[in-house]
Amino acid sequence: MPTQSADDDVKQDPVEETAQRDPGDAQTAGTENNYSNSSPSVFVSSEPMREEQVQNAVKFLSHPKVQGSPVIYRRSFLEKKGLTKEEIDEAFRRVSDSPPSAQTSTVTQEEGQLRSPANIPQQYPTQALQPAAAIPSGFMASVGPANRYGFRWYHALLAIGFLAGTGAGTLIFFKKAVIPRLRSWVRAVVLAEENGVSRETHLRPSLAEETAAAAKAAAAAAADIAKASEELLNSKLQEKKFLGEIMNLLNVQLCEIKSVGVAVKNLQGQANSYAPNPLSNCDFSASSTISKQPYSNGKRDWEYSSVGRSSIPQASLEPSAAPHPKSYMEIMAMVQRGERPPNVKDIDDSPPYPNQPISNPRINPRVKPWEVGQNQRSSNQVFPYQLNSGVQNNGSVSKSQGNKSGPWSQPANNLRITDLENEGEIKSGSQRTSSHEQSIKRSWVPPQPPHVAMPEAAEAIRRPKPTIPGERLPHEQKLSGPSDVTNNESAMTTKTDEANETANDNGVNTELNPSRMQEEGKSS
Amino acid sequence: MPAFKIPFNGYSVKFSPFYENRLAVATAQNFGILGNGRVHVLSLPPSPGAPIVETAAYDTSDAVYDIAWSESHDSILVAAIADGSVKVYDTNLPPASNPLRSLQEHTREVHAVDYNPSRRDSFLTASWDDSIKLWTVDRPISVRTFKEHAYCVYAAAWNPRHADVFASASGDCTVRVWDVREPGSTMIIPAHDFEVLYTDWNKYDDCILATASVDKSIRVWDIRSFRVPITVLNGHNYAIRKVKFSPHRGSLMVSCSYDMTVCLWDYMVEDALVGRYDHHTEFTVGVDMSVLVEGLLASTGWDELVYVWQHGTDPRAP
Repeated sequence: MPTQSADDDVKQDPVEETAQRDPGDAQTAGTENNYSNSSPSVFVSSEPMREEQVQNAVKFLSHPKVQGSPVIYRRSFLEKKGLTKEEIDEAFRRVSDSPPSAQTSTVTQEEGQLRSPANIPQQYPTQALQPAAAIPSGFMASVGPANRYGFRWYHALLAIGFLAGTGAGTLIFFKKAVIPRLRSWVRAVVLAEENGVSRETHLRPSLAEETAAAAKAAAAAAADIAKASEELLNSKLQEKKFLGEIMNLLNVQLCEIKSVGVAVKNLQGQANSYAPNPLSNCDFSASSTISKQPYSNGKRDWEYSSVGRSSIPQASLEPSAAPHPKSYMEIMAMVQRGERPPNVKDIDDSPPYPNQPISNPRINPRVKPWEVGQNQRSSNQVFPYQLNSGVQNNGSVSKSQGNKSGPWSQPANNLRITDLENEGEIKSGSQRTSSHEQSIKRSWVPPQPPHVAMPEAAEAIRRPKPTIPGERLPHEQKLSGPSDVTNNESAMTTKTDEANETANDNGVNTELNPSRMQEEGKSS
Repeated sequence: MPAFKIPFNGYSVKFSPFYENRLAVATAQNFGILGNGRVHVLSLPPSPGAPIVETAAYDTSDAVYDIAWSESHDSILVAAIADGSVKVYDTNLPPASNPLRSLQEHTREVHAVDYNPSRRDSFLTASWDDSIKLWTVDRPISVRTFKEHAYCVYAAAWNPRHADVFASASGDCTVRVWDVREPGSTMIIPAHDFEVLYTDWNKYDDCILATASVDKSIRVWDIRSFRVPITVLNGHNYAIRKVKFSPHRGSLMVSCSYDMTVCLWDYMVEDALVGRYDHHTEFTVGVDMSVLVEGLLASTGWDELVYVWQHGTDPRAP
């Protein structure tokens, strides 16, 4: 549950922002909605509720299988499908409103228990569910789409299974009874022909051959059907196996949790620094079956969160598992067996003086390159993408783009420019363009790139992609749109004020906050 | 400059926002599965050919998964530890006085920490206990907890222009945009079909963010129309661990992946892959672009090496 404690200083924002809206923002045509009073407006999804999505969600939530799962996984599934919070809440509301006629009393009871948390937004089950969370979530995710059309699938599968059975039966019948008879008949006919019978025997073999061929074709078709049905049966079996595995895993998880509980009880009796280790040993010892699976390339798109470090991202690669270093596997195996790797030491990393005051900073914070205001317009080499207006900017854009490797291969120049801007900002808050002329002694310059042995290779590496300057601008404009320009302009005009604030800052954070919030209001 | 050898497997690397020649490295023993950890503070040499020097190192009992420099104090850094604690270090203090603080609230591994670059007084921690916590260095307890994700939260990133907005990437395959002034998330972006391992905002367009996922792709999103990504960048062969936007060029990004490469992308260009470095011999797990020095990149990986190089040069050049 989110704890909303003691964040008053942060909450002052909305009031101050609305009071300090910069009228200049209103002039940025077409983007006012995006950068209006309160800055989070653009960060809130403002789409209207999509009825179709809500109805799909209602169908999903009404499915009996879904109602057996915890609420958080239903929400997570819907979120993954792209529903907004409002749509999800609406779906939950509708499902709880409509009387559950098709459900048993036990299901409704469970639903009632789970529904109340669902109706209160942002309240989710606590970590008690998490150990068993990962597997059901993956399971839900993978079987989710199927559950929506559950009835149809099941019907279809039953029908196909029945057809497969009958097909297999007819095939077997054909194979066992009909074909040998046909064959023997054909053979008899042929033999009769060989004994010197006339035309009618000619006819009969041909007839017989044709019928044999037809029968063979029918048999082949039936064989194909049988194969397909076998495959379907196999997949069904696999799915059953899957489910069985999941049940097993759940059971193992339960055992694991129990063992963890036991270990914790044991720990309470112990009072030495080896305490963490038995706990982690218990975690890993019960999980040998689970942890081995991440390294198979099977269908595995979930993790086992209670199995300690085995649930790192690489353990859940559905697309293809990256080959892990050999020693990694060894360590995983060791940990699963419950052993502690030999090189692990006991380290006391607790703070020696927990109440030690935090020292004051020695130097002022430096302005970020993206916060630099009008300096961006004049410092063309460093920020080519910022420049959408001004003749001098276009000229320098083409220049910097023509020499694409320029900014990268001349670090000293860029450093000077960047540093000049920073120093200029800090030292003289109001001066802008004059900062270029100042020459500042740098405290550290990165070493020059080494002498290039093969200039062609170096050029190939450096050159990102040769594009004509003319082509580049339309791409930018197409992708970023007018809002980018206006954003830059408004950001530039207002960020200079912010930079002023920064320049005047003496490094005391509390003072900075109120003024910074004002600036945020202006810039948005 | 030559690579720096670290004793453990590298997990994250961050340049200092105050000193051009300083960076911090988060490392973990035994690949972060079970073992100690160490925070290194390195100093880059003034002349080429000189080695990178370690100016401080702090040992931890559990793996360090991420590190972040304070934006207000030049010597303070925050480490995300695998035992659920968040430790604050001060490089000005002697090692015996470190760590300054150990904040224990998360119930599972803390996977990422991000410091607010605008407000400069607060930072976020993302944890495998599905929650994100907001902290300030001077408070012993968290300011807020954001708990909505259904699975591990792998990353949290502050918006560079809106001091109260941040995004989080989670194993539940969604990216959420939050505002600290709102009770819950303000946007849910179903970013990928698989786990989203990292997210970062465009420093020059405050509505654009990039997500990196297990599905080997980076997707760039405009949150104003988040149903469809602006672009999908393919090119990595395995899961992508981190993606970061350049502090100097609006559409440039760097990413690191389990395919052992560090790639540079420009999503505004038709052929987006603009650079590829395969200097690592194991998973590359940490990458950073310097805010103070344009084009300076650093990367680290499970091959226990930290490289610092200028874009366009060979990282392995001595």
